Amino acid sequence: MKKVFVLALMLIGAYTNGFAQELYVFTEPASNMPTKSIGVRITNEGMFNNPGFVSRTIPEVMIGFNKNLMMHAQGFMSDMDGKYRLEGGSLYAKYRFLSLDEAQSHFRASAFGRISTSRRPTYSRDINLEGDNSGVQGGLIFTQLLHKLALSSTLGYAHAFENYDRQIAGMPQPKNIFSYSLSSGYLVLPVVYKDYKQPNFNVYLELLGKTDPSSGQSYLDIAPAIQMILNSTTRIDLGYRFQAAGNMDNRYTKNMYLLRAEFNFFNVLK
Amino acid sequence: MKAIKIFSIIMLFFAANVSAQQISSADLQVTGLTCSMCSNATQKSLETLNFISSVKPDLNKNIFVLTFKKDANINLDLVRKKVQDAGFSVGGLTANFNFNQVKIDDKGQAVVDGNVYRFVNAKSKTLNGTVKASIVDKNFISGAAFKKQAATANSDAYASGTGVVNGKKNTYLPFSSFLR
Repeated sequence: MKKVFVLALMLIGAYTNGFAQELYVFTEPASNMPTKSIGVRITNEGMFNNPGFVSRTIPEVMIGFNKNLMMHAQGFMSDMDGKYRLEGGSLYAKYRFLSLDEAQSHFRASAFGRISTSRRPTYSRDINLEGDNSGVQGGLIFTQLLHKLALSSTLGYAHAFENYDRQIAGMPQPKNIFSYSLSSGYLVLPVVYKDYKQPNFNVYLELLGKTDPSSGQSYLDIAPAIQMILNSTTRIDLGYRFQAAGNMDNRYTKNMYLLRAEFNFFNVLK
Repeated sequence: MKAIKIFSIIMLFFAANVSAQQISSADLQVTGLTCSMCSNATQKSLETLNFISSVKPDLNKNIFVLTFKKDANINLDLVRKKVQDAGFSVGGLTANFNFNQVKIDDKGQAVVDGNVYRFVNAKSKTLNGTVKASIVDKNFISGAAFKKQAATANSDAYASGTGVVNGKKNTYLPFSSFLR
C-alpha cells in the first residue's frame, strides 16, 4: 500500500513538474534571461482613453549577462502627441539575489532598477517609465512556483525627473509613485510534453496598482492575458488591462491592449 | 550493468576532471524549469560543453540524458555551472561509473586515478564494472535533500566541504563526490 502511494506521488511529481508559467505579460518575473542569451521583443500597445485611440510601439532587446544579471533596453514610439514619432527610451537591469530550487517549486527574488527618458509632456499623475515619463525606478520582485501555479509580486518606487520646458500649464507634475503588482500564471497546454516543437499555451491574470503618495490618488487594474510559446523560442502575448478601482485622472493605460512577439536566441554571446 | 543498489558518492577531487572511461553517461535532473523555453535554454547551454556528445531531454520529467565523448575529460562541475547559467539548478545527477577493481575501504573511501570517492552507503567492498551512482554533493541535489543528507551522512566532510585524505586537508566542494 505504502509503495503504491509512493509510486503515485512520483507519478504526480513527474507530470506536474515544469508545468507552471512565469513569463508574465504586464510585469517581469524575478528571472527570465539565460546566460549569454539575447531576446528581442516588439510590443504594440493601444489605448482608448485620451481623447481617442492612440498606440505605442516598443522595440526591446534583452541580454542575460550571467545567471543573476539581466538587462533590457527599450525604445518608445507613438502617435500620442499628434504625429507618430520617437518619444524616448529606457534601460532596465535586474539582479537575482535569491534562488531556492526544489523539484516542483522554486522561489526567486530580484532587485531591479530602471532609468527612462521621454519627451512627452505630462497629463497625469500616473508615472509610466515605459514611454510617458523621464525618471528612475527601483524595486523588488518575488516569484514563487507552486506545481502548476506561478505567482509573482513586484514592488517599486519611481521618481520622475522635472521637465519644466515641456510642461503644459495646469497639468499635473508628478514626482513620485509607488507601484505594486500580483501576477499569476498557469500552463494549459500541452498536458504531456513530448518535444520542443509543441506549442505551449498559457493563461495569466495580473493585478497592477499604483499610488501617488503626495496626492493619495491611486488605482488598481485587472489584466488578463493569453500566451503562446512556439518552438520553445518564440513567444506571442495578448493582454488587456482595465481599471477595477481608482481615482487617478487622465490615465493612458486605463483601458489598454498589449500585443507582443518575443524571439529568443540562446547561447549566442561569447 | 550490475544489479547493485544505487550508491551515493562524495568525490574528493585532486584533479578537476574525470576521464571518460570512468563515466559513460548520466541522468541529469534539473529543478526550477517552468516551460519548454526554459528546458530549451538549458539544453542549449549544456550543448556548449565539448565533452558531451549528446543531450536527450525528457521534457515531462525535466531530465536530460547526457552521453559523454570517448576519451574526453569530463568535468561535472561545468555541467552544474551550465545548468545554473541557464537560470536553474541541478536536482540530481546519476551517472554510470566504470570501475576496475576499485577497493572501497572501511571508511567508505576509494581512490581512483588521484580522485577520492566517498561512498555514503558502501564500505569494505570491491567495485568492478559499471556502477550506477548518484552524486549527492551540495549543488548536485536540491537544498532540502542536501540538508537531509548532511544530517544522516555522519561526516563532517560532507557538510563542510573539506576533508582530510592521507593527512592532507582538501577543499572539495562544490563537486567533491559523495556517491550514493
